[in-house]
Order: sequence, then structure tokens, then C-alpha cells
Amino acid sequence: MILAFYILGALAIIGGVITTGARNAVHAALGLVGTLLAVAGLFATMNAAFLAATQVIVYAGAIMVLFLFVIMMLNANAPVTAKDPLPFVRELAGIAGTLIAGAFVVIAYTYKDPRPLAEGAADVRGGTAQAVGETLLTRFLLPFEVVSVLLLVAVVGAVALVQRPAPQPDGFGGGAPPASHAGAELEREVQV
Amino acid sequence: MVSTASYVALSGILFALGLVGVLTRRTAIMAFLSVELMLNAANIALVAFARAWGDLMGQTAVFIVMTLAAAEVAIGLAIIVSIFRKRETTNVDDLASLKG
Repeated sequence: MILAFYILGALAIIGGVITTGARNAVHAALGLVGTLLAVAGLFATMNAAFLAATQVIVYAGAIMVLFLFVIMMLNANAPVTAKDPLPFVRELAGIAGTLIAGAFVVIAYTYKDPRPLAEGAADVRGGTAQAVGETLLTRFLLPFEVVSVLLLVAVVGAVALVQRPAPQPDGFGGGAPPASHAGAELEREVQV
Repeated sequence: MVSTASYVALSGILFALGLVGVLTRRTAIMAFLSVELMLNAANIALVAFARAWGDLMGQTAVFIVMTLAAAEVAIGLAIIVSIFRKRETTNVDDLASLKG
């Protein structure tokens, strides 16, 4: 168990470093996939079987594929070479990150478990789909319903944001091909 | 059994890494990837505390957070795509026209 924690934790941190530092956006996304898979393994070591499976399927599977699609579609994998507009951003961010990580570690090791760890681990019932589902549909019923509305809004919003303007009946804003260069200019303005 | 403290410490390290990414990366997509890293760090801490207290609410909260992350990614990437169509860039320094 301890060995699994150290291996998975190291993998997660390596993936995080790649995500933060890689020049190529595709490499960064793949580093994040590594981190997500390692986090799924960590969930499994903490008696959260259902969450481990969900992490692999939803996060590493669906969300990261969406990211990779957009990175490749926008050609965003070229590194930014222009000069930083603010001086010492990287150094300051590094110092801030080190301080925050150090503070978290110090706080973490002052934490005392409220009860023996084995007892708590037994009480989460392995984190199976049945156990999580019971909590989700009893104590988390309101958040569950609200999140379903949020997902609907997100789907409608994503479609509304990326859709091209609908063609108008009088021929403006798409539809028929422009007759001349001036027409193309006009059409582009209407679309914007 | 690995202590809760170790998991929370790992969570803090990953969170700080994500924070550094948000502060230093210059394209919107890369900042967004770092935000996902921070969300995952928080999830590790939630699951660790769920085990420490023997309460499944922590794990269920992680499930809700994953759903939120999916919604956030859908909307965020749609915004980035529509900005890219209009401005031909996702570099956040070029998208500072709202700055006073």
C-alpha cells in the first residue's frame, strides 16, 4: 500500500511538472493524462473504487480527449516565444508555488485523524457504486438535481457559443456564396 | 495504511504545481489545463478526508466536482474556440483589451 502510494504520487507529480512546464501543448495535455491516471490509482488505494473508475472514464477519457481535439484544432501546440510583459513572472510564481506547497505540507502533517484510520476505511464500504449512489440520491439529492440543470445549460451554452450565425432569409449572414470581393467583406462584417 | 497527512501533502504539492501553471502559462488552453490539475489536487484531499472520517459525503462531493469540471471544460473550450475565431490567437496577453 505504501509502495503504491509513493509510486503513484511520484507519477502524479511528474505528470504535473510536465503539464506546467512542457513547451508543446500536446505534451502538457498528455502529462495531465498521466497525472489523472495516477490520481485514479490513488483513489483506488483510498477505498474509492467507483471514483477511480469514473476518473479514468470521464476525466482521462472524455475531458482530455476534448482538450486534445481543441489543442489540435486551434494549432495551439506552438510555444509562445514573445517576451513576458511582466518582469520576473516565472521566478515569482515559482517562489509562491514553493511557499504554498510548503504551507500545505506543514498543515497536512499537523492533521490528526479523528478516529482510527482502519475504522474509517471500513465505513466507506469500499466506495462502490452502490455506496456512493445511496449518498448521492439521499443527502446529495439537491446538488444532484442542480448539477443536472447545470450540465444542460453547459451543453446548450457550448452549442450557442460555437455555432455560426444562422443564414438570414434575405441572403445576409451566410447561406449563398458572395458575388464579389465587396460582398465577402460585407458578409464577414455581418458575421462578426 | 498510508496516513491522511501524506495524501493531503501530495494534494498540496499538486495544487501548487497547478497554481504555478496558471500564473506562468501564456495561452488560455494551458492555463485551463493547470486549473484541471488544481481541481484534481482538491479531489485527492476530499477522498482522503472521506476515508479519515468514514463518511461517504466526501466521495460524493468528488463525483459532483467531476461533473462540474466536465461542464466547465465544455463551456471554457467553447469560449476559447469562439475567441480564436475572432482574434486568431489564444495568447492571454493579446486578449487584454478589457484592461483599464
